[in-house]
Amino acid sequence: MPALLEVSHIDLYRGETQVLWDISLALDPGERVAILGSNGAGKSSFLAAVTAALTPVRGEIRFNGHCLVGNRPHEVTGLGIALVPEGRRVYKDMSVRENLEMGAFPKSARGRLKETLERVMGLFPILGQRKGQPAGTLSGGEQQMLAIGRALMSRPKLLLVDELSLGLAPLITKSIYRTLAELGTDITILLVEQNVEQALNFSRRAYILESGRMTRSGNSADLMQDADIRRAYLGM
Amino acid sequence: MFAISLMNGLVMGVIYALAALGVSLVVGIMNVVNFAHGELYILAGYFSYLFASALGVNFVLAMVIAVGLVFFLGLLIEYLLIRPTYGNDMYSLILTFILSIVLQNAYLLIFGPYPNKPPLWVQGATDVFGLFLYGNQRLAALAAGAALIAVIFVIIKKTWFGRIIRAASQDREMAELNGVNTTRLNMLSFGLGCALAAAAGVILAPVFPVTPTAGVPVALTAFVVVVLGGMGSLWGCVVGGLTLGLVENFGAAFISSGYKNVFGFMILILVLLVRPSGLFGRAKI
Repeated sequence: MPALLEVSHIDLYRGETQVLWDISLALDPGERVAILGSNGAGKSSFLAAVTAALTPVRGEIRFNGHCLVGNRPHEVTGLGIALVPEGRRVYKDMSVRENLEMGAFPKSARGRLKETLERVMGLFPILGQRKGQPAGTLSGGEQQMLAIGRALMSRPKLLLVDELSLGLAPLITKSIYRTLAELGTDITILLVEQNVEQALNFSRRAYILESGRMTRSGNSADLMQDADIRRAYLGM
Repeated sequence: MFAISLMNGLVMGVIYALAALGVSLVVGIMNVVNFAHGELYILAGYFSYLFASALGVNFVLAMVIAVGLVFFLGLLIEYLLIRPTYGNDMYSLILTFILSIVLQNAYLLIFGPYPNKPPLWVQGATDVFGLFLYGNQRLAALAAGAALIAVIFVIIKKTWFGRIIRAASQDREMAELNGVNTTRLNMLSFGLGCALAAAAGVILAPVFPVTPTAGVPVALTAFVVVVLGGMGSLWGCVVGGLTLGLVENFGAAFISSGYKNVFGFMILILVLLVRPSGLFGRAKI
């Protein structure tokens, strides 16, 4: 089976500063993969390259047969990539329902809005209960569910999740991960996390990013047992 | 006196609100202040005069053509002048300022300094509640302005386009991630902003004739309304516009007409002292 997302040897700059060096990664359809690393390691920059918010100076990004470098962010969304951004970034003044509807803006998703809306509200029943409320009045966990729901509304093949656990209580994080696990294998998930333990539990494989370089990769279960990683990231 | 001032205030308030909605739309989405807003307002007045009075086109059709032409001119201005300046707000500020001066002088060359006036939509006057006679044209302008504002609000609230506008003015990058082509949205909203100025222009031109510089006070008032109502808030435009129209006319009637323009700024200063982000503005955008 060909890879769904294939990133080969990209170098990326933010302004004048190089943030990624020679990063390669491949995702098979249906996989759950995590990118781990501390603050400032370049995880969000990597996602910015995949969503075409930043353009790599070298290297190639291919998704489902399309070359992503040179596309604009709205075109990438149309191809079937959805991002749950760091800090959730829900439209605070719009209702929960309108936020979800915005997620279904790409033409490929708009026709099946009703059906997808019901599915998302089935995954996160609290969003259904609060559908008329302005998104800014939701709790942090509910806003995270809304951000995920909004991303799912575009019926993506690839879901990118940036720092899901940031600022959330451990119990809520756990329940959101459980819901993500229920999504089934028609959606491939790439996680970016500082919360290494949660991410390794959720994912099958993981890559480790340090100061803009990919230093290790492997099965999540193996990485979990690795002494270096336990010391560096899990504090054990 | 009271009732007449009220009516005058409402008519002007609705026009201010329309003009301010155009400014607010462009500021909210593109973070660009269009200093030529007033000149586009005037241009639509000239167009409707040209088509209706000089060429004899039906006045409604003349207004529609005028607003349409200004809309397309707005698209062109965005494409030629604003788009190359993204990332530096100062350039677009200077460019639209220059555009306003160029347009004023072009009007002076083409139409001369004389006031021009498209034909009235309706003749005569109506007895309002048995209190006073009020010009039918002004009543029609009030009704047309109010109807247009209502249509704008329905579009903003109910359509995809409205949803995108609200989303993009809250978080542009996120809207782009949701699949919105922000380049096209910019162009369209700039054109629409200009079209709203034009709509205010064609509605008011039969009452207040157009001259090459008559757009300056209208644009200035529109900026005041946007700040008064709160940057980027569309409701703020309506409330701010009506407030300003009423205050100006009551002040002129009961205190002194010489200070008409001062009252607006006094209200602005008072509101900003208490609420720095304007009546309906968010503390931080």
